[in-house]
Amino acid sequence: MSDNLERGLEAMRGQMDTSVMSYMSTCVHCGICADACLFYTETGDARYTPIYKTEPLRKLWRQEYTFWGKLAASMGLTKKLTEQDLADWEELVYDGCTMCSRCSLVCPVGIDIAYMIRKVKEGLSAAGYSPGDLVEAGKRAVEIGSPMGVTLKTLEATIRVQEKETGLKVPLDVEGADYLCLLSSGEIAGFPEFIGSLAKIFKATGVSWTISSDYFEATNTGVQLGNSKMAATLVERVVAAAEKLKVKYVISPECGHAYSTIRWDAPNFIGRPLPFKVVHIMELLDELRSDGRLKTEGFAEEKLSYHDPCNAGRRGGVLDQPRNLMNMVAPDFVELPETGAMNWCCGGGGGVSSNERANELRLKVFSAKKRQLDAVNIEGLVTACSNCRHMLEDGLEENEMYDVELLGITELIADHLVEEGG
Amino acid sequence: MFEQLVDGIFWDIALWVFAIGVLWRILSIFRVRNKPDYSVPRDSAIVGAIGTNLHRFMPRREMISRTRLQVVAGYLFHLGLFALLVFAAPHVLFIEAQTGLGWTPMPYWAFIVAAQLAFIGLMLLWFHRIMHPVTRLISDADDHIAAILTFIVMLTGCMALIEEFNGLRVLHRFTVELWLVYFPFSRLMHAFMFIPSRAFTGAWFGRRGVKA
Amino acid sequence: MSNNRQSRIRHHRMVVFSLLSLLVLTLILPLIPYAVADLGQSAGKVVNPGADLWREVRQRDRSVIGSTQVKGVDSGVLINVYGEDWRQFRMQRLIPYGAALMGIVLSVILLFYLVRGPLRLQGGPTGKKIQRFTVFERTTHWFTVSVFWLLALTGLVLLYGRFVLIPLLGAEGFGMTASACKEAHNLFGPMFLVAILMLFVTFVKDNFYARGDITWLLKGGGLLGGGHVSAGRFNAGEKIWFWIAVLGGIVLCVSGLILDFAVFGQGREVMELSHVMHGIVALIVITVSFGHIYLGTAGVEGTIDSMTSGYVDEAWAKSHHDRWYAEVKAAAVEDSETEPAGGGSASTGVASPARDG
Repeated sequence: MSDNLERGLEAMRGQMDTSVMSYMSTCVHCGICADACLFYTETGDARYTPIYKTEPLRKLWRQEYTFWGKLAASMGLTKKLTEQDLADWEELVYDGCTMCSRCSLVCPVGIDIAYMIRKVKEGLSAAGYSPGDLVEAGKRAVEIGSPMGVTLKTLEATIRVQEKETGLKVPLDVEGADYLCLLSSGEIAGFPEFIGSLAKIFKATGVSWTISSDYFEATNTGVQLGNSKMAATLVERVVAAAEKLKVKYVISPECGHAYSTIRWDAPNFIGRPLPFKVVHIMELLDELRSDGRLKTEGFAEEKLSYHDPCNAGRRGGVLDQPRNLMNMVAPDFVELPETGAMNWCCGGGGGVSSNERANELRLKVFSAKKRQLDAVNIEGLVTACSNCRHMLEDGLEENEMYDVELLGITELIADHLVEEGG
Repeated sequence: MFEQLVDGIFWDIALWVFAIGVLWRILSIFRVRNKPDYSVPRDSAIVGAIGTNLHRFMPRREMISRTRLQVVAGYLFHLGLFALLVFAAPHVLFIEAQTGLGWTPMPYWAFIVAAQLAFIGLMLLWFHRIMHPVTRLISDADDHIAAILTFIVMLTGCMALIEEFNGLRVLHRFTVELWLVYFPFSRLMHAFMFIPSRAFTGAWFGRRGVKA
Repeated sequence: MSNNRQSRIRHHRMVVFSLLSLLVLTLILPLIPYAVADLGQSAGKVVNPGADLWREVRQRDRSVIGSTQVKGVDSGVLINVYGEDWRQFRMQRLIPYGAALMGIVLSVILLFYLVRGPLRLQGGPTGKKIQRFTVFERTTHWFTVSVFWLLALTGLVLLYGRFVLIPLLGAEGFGMTASACKEAHNLFGPMFLVAILMLFVTFVKDNFYARGDITWLLKGGGLLGGGHVSAGRFNAGEKIWFWIAVLGGIVLCVSGLILDFAVFGQGREVMELSHVMHGIVALIVITVSFGHIYLGTAGVEGTIDSMTSGYVDEAWAKSHHDRWYAEVKAAAVEDSETEPAGGGSASTGVASPARDG
């Protein structure tokens, strides 16, 4: 057996748990998961069927964790999992899946398919079958602190511009602040006004916050790659920064998987509870709204809708808060057909948009999103994830849908803040 | 000779293999543990586990137009078969003779209708399975054997309806024995496994505050 | 191909043709004296002293219906007038003529296949496919097929079993088999109604008369040579089969339901009539289905794919259903020319706005 295969098998063995054992015994091959997955519905290619993407894990389960499977494999009656299988599944799992979990919500027998695809990634990445772009991004995340190579210098320069534009200070390394805000490289590079918006809102609501110069990256390439060790390393940096500054809360910014990682998966990567509470920026803003501290005036002129980022909404549970916030500034906003926990994925999450090889595919499956947008005739689409925003921008441009503007929810709120009296 | 085996030792073997096999399969999932979850739950995992077990019986509104045939045929089959197994007079009498537990069977016409609905559901599902590109790719021998064996059990039952020929009754019972022995080693286990699976998924989403 | 080889093939074909003709004749010829004997009635009756009494009992002129203590349908009828007629019809007409019909048609089809051979795709396949039938259409079709064949085979056992199976299984064995077949037939019968309705609703819209159907029929659909004949999604032959299957199917279902659920006051006459209709229509539909099956499988190259994979080669489409092919191509062009922004219509799967928590 090759080293690669053995590493892959060992990694997947480490991922076996009761849930997987149960799921593997339950699937009746009904194929309904495919009807929920945009990679199948928009391409018609049956290989993107979610449960099919878990084949490597299923084969391992069969040949090592079931009586008849072990017997059959030892007698040579069934084909064992090979290195070629892992190689063949790379494209399906990394290019053809954003781990949006829509499939997990529709399986009639209750299988969390995305949960298992995540585990397949552990095997593939250990065996060396991950997209080169993502592997490089991971290296940068570990070595530089950002998968896009955004350094502290870049951040500081960005902060200076935002301070100039807003006339406000962006607090760096304030020990004892209540909230430590993380940032995604995508935001810093593409939507830096997010930082200015935070400054405005936190000044108006009297929130004590800070950013850490030791570590500010919200994203976690280890999660996207399927490399738990890398994921744990990156989480430890957040924990270290938060502990150093003695903060009570860590804010997860406008990013999908950053939230699900730091809020839900992080403690399990490091094997202990986090020494702070985690909030998505929308959770915090909603809290401030219900406290009465966040006040807005005026309404958005354009007809708006809201796109739920998969990892914040369906996988994260932040579903009500964006709607409360939207109602503050756009009470007549329309919901996309199939919204909330059943929203269609933008197609760029889970590392897909960082993987150039998947460009053609993710733009092709954008037709699912396009279909939603065509049904509502809006002028602006609001979202809370910078990766979704990039993907939506790419998709709208590809489809020549120039009349839909893309907005970040924090910036939208900040634009409607009641000016401080004095 | 064959009749004596079918009514005697084969039945005992089939029941024991079924009972022990099912129990073994269910318990064996715990051979590997779930790791503890150190995150702070937003909502109750247990409520999620129970809730999902119930919710998943209803397809999500967004999925209905894409999955209509499977949902309708699936329910026709499962509900029809359940009614058949538990409330058809010959079965009620059989269970009473075996266990002493009896209850009121459904009227004959309801038995017939239930059987027909179950057949329609099963056949539509199986043909859909071999016609749809997704299920064509992911189906294996187990899926087909399970469907066809179940069909054969139902068909032999139907052929013995007027309870006139002992040979037909024996044939039906024999196919039932084959089905019982096949059950624990096959896809048919989903009849039990859907409960823990829905529970695990429901708990996972439930602690995140998402109704799954 | 060399002359020698050609003449050898011709020779083989002639031998086979002759053998088959002999087979066909063997099946038909014995029926001729049968028919002759039937047409001629033997004359000369012996007068029975109790003739008048028995005439009344047999109620040949239907003047007297008896009264009985037990009240029920037909309980006043001691001897059913038409009973013997019906039995004679079943044994002397339905069974042998049905066998002959099926046998002849099967032989003709076999002959046709051996002589004419399958209709090959001219110019060979292009390798490019278009969709002809959706998953639902194919599922409906095969569901109907399986219910139909279950009913057909069990029905044929009920009609012909005693001749074919008693020698094989013995009287008791056949009794069990026939009972099993009757129960299965009676249970699946109402399901056929569901299947036929599904089939009807799924395929009816393309099975109405369209211009070109008569021409297609007159040209024999190109089956007997003469090359390509124009047709829409379904040709006239397919349409005729559709309506035979649906209308025949409905007759079978109605008569079958009358026979199956004999508790709604059906008298013997109604049952006999239903049985006669059921038997005749069943044999006709089975026989026509032989032609449908032949053309759908061995008879026309490339056809079976339409019902298995749902996709057909473009050359097949152009050759057999050119007007349908043109429509499909035109629709595909229209789709690709649709304005990308705002012009697309919401397709299936997009429901009304609502939030899920």
